Amino acid sequence: MLKTATPRSPTSLPAPDLWLWLPGVLLLALGLLMLTSASIPEAARQGQPFYFVIRQCFFLGVALLAGLLTYRISLESWYRYGPWLLFAAILLLVLVLLPGIGREVKGSARWIGLGPFNLQASELAKLFVLVYVAGYLQRHRIALQHTLETMIRLLVVLGLVAVLMLLEPDFGTTVVLMITALGLVFLAGVNVWRFAALQGLVIIAMGLLIYSSEYRWARLISFMDPWADPFNKGFQLTQALIAIGRGELFGVGLGASIQKLSYLPEAHTDFLFSILAEELGLIGVLVTIGLYAVIVYRAFALAALAEQLEQYFAAYLAYGLGLWIGIQALFNMGVNMGVLPTKGLTLPLISYGGSSLIVMCVALALLIRINGEIQALHDAEKPAGAPVRAVAGASP
Amino acid sequence: MVVGLLLVGTLGILARAVYLQILNKDFLQDQGYERFLRVMEIPAYRGVIKDRHGEPLAVSSPVDSVWANPKKLLQYSDRLGELAHTLGIKTAELEQRLQVKADKEFAYLRRQVPPEIAQQVMDLHIPGVALQREYRRYYPTAEVTSHLLGFTDIDDIGQEGLELTFNKSLQGIPGKKRVIKDRLGRTVENLESVLLPVPGQTLVLSIDRRIQYLAYRELKAAVQENKASSGTAVMLDVRTGEILAMVNQPAANPNDRNQLRSEFLRNRSVTDVYEPGSTVKPFTIAMALESGAYRPTTLINTSPGILKVGRNRVRDVHNYGLIDVARVISKSSNVGASKIALSLPAEKLWDIYRRLGFGSATHIGFSGEQSGVLHHYSHWSAIGHANHSFGYGFSVTSLQLAQAYAVLAADGIKRPLSILRLDEPPRNEERIMSAATARQVRTMMEAVVSDKGTAPKAAVAGYQVAGKTGTVHKIVDGRYTTRYLSLFAGMAPADHPRLVLVVVIDDPRAGHHYGGQVAAPAFSAIMSGALRLLNVTPDVVPTVNMASVAADRARKP
Repeated sequence: MLKTATPRSPTSLPAPDLWLWLPGVLLLALGLLMLTSASIPEAARQGQPFYFVIRQCFFLGVALLAGLLTYRISLESWYRYGPWLLFAAILLLVLVLLPGIGREVKGSARWIGLGPFNLQASELAKLFVLVYVAGYLQRHRIALQHTLETMIRLLVVLGLVAVLMLLEPDFGTTVVLMITALGLVFLAGVNVWRFAALQGLVIIAMGLLIYSSEYRWARLISFMDPWADPFNKGFQLTQALIAIGRGELFGVGLGASIQKLSYLPEAHTDFLFSILAEELGLIGVLVTIGLYAVIVYRAFALAALAEQLEQYFAAYLAYGLGLWIGIQALFNMGVNMGVLPTKGLTLPLISYGGSSLIVMCVALALLIRINGEIQALHDAEKPAGAPVRAVAGASP
Repeated sequence: MVVGLLLVGTLGILARAVYLQILNKDFLQDQGYERFLRVMEIPAYRGVIKDRHGEPLAVSSPVDSVWANPKKLLQYSDRLGELAHTLGIKTAELEQRLQVKADKEFAYLRRQVPPEIAQQVMDLHIPGVALQREYRRYYPTAEVTSHLLGFTDIDDIGQEGLELTFNKSLQGIPGKKRVIKDRLGRTVENLESVLLPVPGQTLVLSIDRRIQYLAYRELKAAVQENKASSGTAVMLDVRTGEILAMVNQPAANPNDRNQLRSEFLRNRSVTDVYEPGSTVKPFTIAMALESGAYRPTTLINTSPGILKVGRNRVRDVHNYGLIDVARVISKSSNVGASKIALSLPAEKLWDIYRRLGFGSATHIGFSGEQSGVLHHYSHWSAIGHANHSFGYGFSVTSLQLAQAYAVLAADGIKRPLSILRLDEPPRNEERIMSAATARQVRTMMEAVVSDKGTAPKAAVAGYQVAGKTGTVHKIVDGRYTTRYLSLFAGMAPADHPRLVLVVVIDDPRAGHHYGGQVAAPAFSAIMSGALRLLNVTPDVVPTVNMASVAADRARKP
């Protein structure tokens, strides 16, 4: 095979990876199904039973288009525009805080109004920041292992993003992004002990943040023992736990949930997983977790391969996206099951919400794109056994 | 290490799912049941009240009541205006009603609305507003039976009259069912019936709706014509003691609760007591005949129309001179009655009154029934003894008077009264006087209705009526006044009486006040209609003027 073939060219990419797109499509289908079941009682009370379903279908259409578009964008472009994306992320996070632009719902200014729809700024910001961090780690890979300064520069950037997100406030997204980003830093080979010290600092900072805010503290306490105050602070969580408990092994059956009948608040958004667990039971929960696990495993395997091929940007981005999807899914399920405080995080690809759906589809498409490029590169390398070629952004 | 942490997290979540869905499921499910499983009452259908022929007098029909969850509805206060408009109440009033119960989850907005309004309310689709099925009592015969039946309250529980007395058997037993409710209180699923509702029992009255209507119409006409303040009429079936009609004036339509006022509600036949006056003279005579000291032809000197009893005087309207016992009744001589009574022990008069039922309530099911007052004879003075002989010094209800007349009508046998239809004749009959005495007194009372008696207007064509008038001075604030109670009590056909009727007109102010002029015409109209309705065989061969019959026929279309 001739080495002149450019792996970046989409025409030469292998078919999209079945183990990435199939679980994704299955999760999207499962999500739409559960959303239909869970949102109709709530929407019917407002007189439009399919209100949320129709909106979600529209979002899904946009998300699939965005995914297709993403799949056509080369990794090199992502790498090159990383700093601009960071800038865009910060811009969005600032805009959302401005009165008149940001829309406040239930005490949090997280949305930028776009006609009949709202854009959740931090969802996009998460993706953009991850792309930037992956690029930064690629650029300063060697320096990071020896000097503290490059590390601190990254932390300052992350800190700025975190502060902006906390101002909304959107604590959940902040935590997911920070854990993902720091996990990425760790994977990039930063000294373990230095890393551990940083982790400790972050944990202490977060602890202080929680303690300093009465509402976060109340949320934290209520999740620890929801049955102490089941009709007030623990209301939502006890209702979620009841829903999950009602599911048993095989579930009460699709559409037969009782908890969705105004008992469980946010049954179609953050707590859709509880309704899933009620209607589809432990089997449904296992399948859902399994589908996420396949995506995350595939992302990590891909990242390992990319690392092996010294495609560090691709590797870090794949790690980051896999971590992000995995952690956010775990967090949402953990919140539903009462092992984590209530956060307002969506279940990736499943929960209602346009911003989350679109961004998650883009993330998945990005993973498929990385896989395509790395596989193409891998296939190109193997027969020739030639030394590693520079690909997208290998040398800044 | 990162992979490891993710793995640990995933395993943790899995373990938690297993714990919640397999190990801890019972606790969680019980908690769920506590929240959405409810035992609901299934309202029992209240029994129908029917007349003796099965015609409905009171029926419960399903209606809807509009209620709301104030907590929920107050969040949509911008919609209160249209809701209030549809319900036909003021917005401010609606808001105030919700505010009072702001921390509750249930408040009636308007109860028992017409079906079309209930539908309009539901079409508004306002969160927190719902309907509740209830039953509303409807009285087809309206004011004609209102005093008798009473009414139910908004929860369909009897408050007055027979609705109250027989509430328990009418009400039935509400059932229970287990349902799943959503958080807004709407039933999502009926799981099981815990207890089936037992519908209330049908109450079949002795009342004949046709006679009731007739009596009501005639009484109302008599009260209006005589500009009287009130009136009452009771008709009994002599053979069974059943009450066939019981009507009162004034009256109001019980289907319109705004009209309900106590003066319209009183069943005066049982709640109002009065001195019966001359209407009890036949019993004084019966007592005298029973004593063996008197016969119908025994002469009594009533001259000069005044009798001194101690320091008091008993007066007649005219000086009737020397008259026989029969004419004491037909002329209604107070002096004659007093002389007869005073010649016999007071105990005898007291005893017959007591056994006829004066002074004790019938207890057959009327709420608020009065027993009247009959003092023991040992407390009677001489004038008191005399007064009792012509109906003063004690008090009775119209129902008691009718019961006493029924004894004369039934050849001396007293039968327990009944407001419920009897499927077999009553058992515990009691003989109060001999059949011969009863017949003799009835014959004397026939003369009352003759042209020479006090009440020719009580006559009924084709039937011989036996009866007695009463014109009673009313006591107001302990003194006798010139206001009157006009009575007529009687029976027909006189030979073998089938019906007894008492008509009382209170305070007539249109010029006449004698029972023979005020109450007798109403008696005649009611009695004549009732006899025909019941197909009672006429006992008088009418002396028909053929020409007038022909003229009557010619007039009819």
